[in-house]
Amino acid sequence: MTTLAGIGTFVPEARVSIESYAEEFDLTPMQVRVFRRYHKLGSAARSDESLTGLLRLALEDLALSEEQRVRVRYVLYARTFPVVVPYPRNPLHDALAAVGLGHAQAFAVGQQACASGLLAIDLAGRLLAADGDDGLAIVLAGEKAFTGEARFVPETSMFGEGAAACLVAASGERDRLLAYVARLRGEFDGDLDEVAQEFQRIYHDALGEAVTAAVARAGLGLDDIAVILPHNVNQVAWQRTCKRIGFPLDRVLLEHVAAIGHVFCADAFINHRTAVERGLLRPGDRYVIAAAGAGRGATFSAMVFEH
Amino acid sequence: MSDTATIDPALREHVVETICALLPRVLKREVPDASEGTTLMDDLGMSSTTGLELVLELEDRLEREISVEDLGRDDFETVGTLASYVAGNLLDEE
Repeated sequence: MTTLAGIGTFVPEARVSIESYAEEFDLTPMQVRVFRRYHKLGSAARSDESLTGLLRLALEDLALSEEQRVRVRYVLYARTFPVVVPYPRNPLHDALAAVGLGHAQAFAVGQQACASGLLAIDLAGRLLAADGDDGLAIVLAGEKAFTGEARFVPETSMFGEGAAACLVAASGERDRLLAYVARLRGEFDGDLDEVAQEFQRIYHDALGEAVTAAVARAGLGLDDIAVILPHNVNQVAWQRTCKRIGFPLDRVLLEHVAAIGHVFCADAFINHRTAVERGLLRPGDRYVIAAAGAGRGATFSAMVFEH
Repeated sequence: MSDTATIDPALREHVVETICALLPRVLKREVPDASEGTTLMDDLGMSSTTGLELVLELEDRLEREISVEDLGRDDFETVGTLASYVAGNLLDEE
């Protein structure tokens, strides 16, 4: 059974405000107010580090023992955007070389946009299970918010910089993966207004359905879930999703939305770290990691774990 | 959830009129013949964020704060459903 054996994160100190986006993204003062008041998005994290630096800092924070380091066989880099640097640069390989993980097979996992992090965990667990020995895998996430598209999602979210590194094992005590559901919705491929409108229309139902389906697949009910670790897309999306499935909003860890923004595929792991620090996850607690990704098609995903 | 039984009809009517007056400003185009039955998303193509802009504009115009805790997608169905929600969820003046 796949387990999350450890999490390292890097969240930079610097912030960029939603107001500073107004001119570039043609936001009216009223739209800025909507972002602050309802979406609860006020700023996003920024770093002077390169992408290699972001990934390296998360890997260093993971603080692998020497014994663990040599057992790492796979590194899966979960990305929101398919291309994050120009060819032939490869920040993933550079970061791994810098921390003594150059021996691992390293590759990117995408296609599910911000839901690719969950896909990468599932895939890492399956690769390790197929090997059938004591190998380990690392799921890396985090990107630079440098193009317009990678900084701001109109009417929806602000991307923040940061990174996370998650150590995955095929078995172990913590945190055990109980269930995974990914709903692929290929019909939401395209930039047409009608497609975007329909996506908005079904978003909360689809995200809620993925959460409840994953919880049911784990043989549990929503009452058994201590906390949801969300993607930090915005507050109102989670408010509406929770209302639909009848889950209390105060058990969704949304505190990072306002300050650091949507850290691509790394949100869930950064939120996990916070949940543990706040004492929101105690041994034996079941929790949900959920994310929705939109790019070429849409994906609504949820995983249930036992801490 | 707003309780329709306790909504002041005059207040609701005032909110309907205010919403219709604000629609061109929020949608940035002419909106002729808007009325209580006009559907915001289907007829006018309003997005969820434009809907929230409309609620903020209403707060400014009505000079009252609107509780958005229970504001859901269904409340944005028509001008009338939004007016019912708003009229039932105005916060008390300080």
